[in-house]
Amino acid sequence: MVDAGFLVAQLVNALFYSSILFMIASGLSLIFGITRILNLAHGAFYMLGAYIMYTVMTALPGGASAVLGILAAGTIVAVIGLLVEAGLLSRVYGKPEEVQLLLTFALILVLDDLAKLIWGPEYKSLTTLPWGSLAVGDYTIPVYHLVAIAVALASAVGLWLLFSRTTLGKKIRASASYPEVAEALGVDTRRMFIVTFMLGSALAGASGALAGPVLTAYPGMGTEAIVLSFAIIVIGGMGSILGALAGALIVGFTRTVMAIVYPVLEVALIYIVMAIVLLVKPTGLFGGREVERR
Amino acid sequence: MKPSDYWALILVFALLAVAPTLAGPFYTRLLATGILYGTAAVGFNVLFGYTGLLSFGHAMFWGAGAYTVAIGMVKMGLSFPASLALSFLVVGVIALVTGFLSLRHTRIYFAMLTLAFGQLLYAIALKWRSMTGADEGIYGVPRPLGDVVLYYYLVLAVSLAVLLALLRVLKSPLGLAFRSIRDNPFRAEVVGYPVNRLRLLSYTISGLATGVAGSLYAPLQTSVNPESLYWTFSAAIVFMAILGGSRVFIGPFIGGLLYVFIQDTAMGATEYWLLATGVTLGALILLLPEGIVGYIWRRLGGRLE
Repeated sequence: MVDAGFLVAQLVNALFYSSILFMIASGLSLIFGITRILNLAHGAFYMLGAYIMYTVMTALPGGASAVLGILAAGTIVAVIGLLVEAGLLSRVYGKPEEVQLLLTFALILVLDDLAKLIWGPEYKSLTTLPWGSLAVGDYTIPVYHLVAIAVALASAVGLWLLFSRTTLGKKIRASASYPEVAEALGVDTRRMFIVTFMLGSALAGASGALAGPVLTAYPGMGTEAIVLSFAIIVIGGMGSILGALAGALIVGFTRTVMAIVYPVLEVALIYIVMAIVLLVKPTGLFGGREVERR
Repeated sequence: MKPSDYWALILVFALLAVAPTLAGPFYTRLLATGILYGTAAVGFNVLFGYTGLLSFGHAMFWGAGAYTVAIGMVKMGLSFPASLALSFLVVGVIALVTGFLSLRHTRIYFAMLTLAFGQLLYAIALKWRSMTGADEGIYGVPRPLGDVVLYYYLVLAVSLAVLLALLRVLKSPLGLAFRSIRDNPFRAEVVGYPVNRLRLLSYTISGLATGVAGSLYAPLQTSVNPESLYWTFSAAIVFMAILGGSRVFIGPFIGGLLYVFIQDTAMGATEYWLLATGVTLGALILLLPEGIVGYIWRRLGGRLE
């Protein structure tokens, strides 16, 4: 008989991990869906978020500083996103995919080392999480995890509202689907791309901030995150927020369950799932757009 | 005189043949690494530059080659030639299976599929401790001929053989068929080429060439570790090809040599060598999109692919 407390604790763990993954992957997917750039350095943005959180929380201990850390990470990483988009990526829109991929790959090398330069090469972890924990049977559930899940849910709802209910969301979508028409109607498509890139980057930064205190911050932590994010947006469908949510839950739960049941396949199974989805439904579970066959 | 693929190959290999007399053991070993990286990148470019498919998982062939030779020699007690033959077989099977599955798609989806299969192999290498040594990898791979300089000439000879074989394929009607698929797959189909089978053939040839380079790398390093299968090495192979120039046969080979050289210089100059490497490579991509060899080649009046 499996203990109920154990199940609840693991459920929260899986949901927490899925929440982190959703926020990185939805940012990546959003940026790809609108600008058609697959930003490999998106994982490095996530890493920067984790470091900023660490810095804020060690400077001012307490629950309020965690909130401040998340906001600071989102904002600072959004500004970094602005600099990267305007200074670097705007030069390679419409260029071959390999040029875009390699440029953002070079950016990973630079950002990883900058993190090492600023924060040092060692792992940065916090000994205690803010806000304490709840007891469920013999197990404890950190309130911090529940807050992170709430933040991810709020981001999902916020993104959905943005794209379905607001003029800004419609302008962004129009800039991606019909740039000429959007321009003719007075939409500054260039600006919409920048807004999208900053928003996606902010999601990566906030996600890193939420993950940092639990998973520790270290140079190169983004490299693993970015590949998992690919798996997620490929499973869910590129450019789809709902797809990112479904993909994040699939990957988060697969990993949590396998880590307990059969750790040998913990990571491998994620890629097997991804390969099967791609073979059966190349556009992913929620991807609508037809795949270019040739 | 316009540059030709054969003459460029002969010139480069002639220079590499005399290089160990000038370089010490350290640089000889570094050059051997560059030769193998370069050969792997030329293999990658058969698929990318000549057939028009961007693989983001070529580390799987490199790593599978390296691991099979290491396992063959260390765990199974096979001789070096037998391990090499075994790794050729293993890489061939991996290429046929992953190629068959990945080639149901093209463009970014193909790239993502190859990436996934590469990560799958990485995950297996990381967890299958009894066979692969998990995160520590396999140490004590014997180096045939013992001496670095002698082994360097073995590496040089095998690489030359691989490149000549690839060049011969690319100059043959088969190579023309690859280019026709690259330039316009619809037209190639209409003309009567079996597009999917030819793509699988190109993928397999490409994977085998990269795999051979990888299998020579394990004895050179006398070890192998999971990094050789990680996706960042796949990205590095793409980088080498673009750095040298994917539109000239010899381009990716030079790209591999330059990559090793840039990395070593950066590592020697600063603790933050990734930063220096990243800035250098990023600048080269932006300023010389046709690659260094591509640029020189065009200036000399050579034909770009």
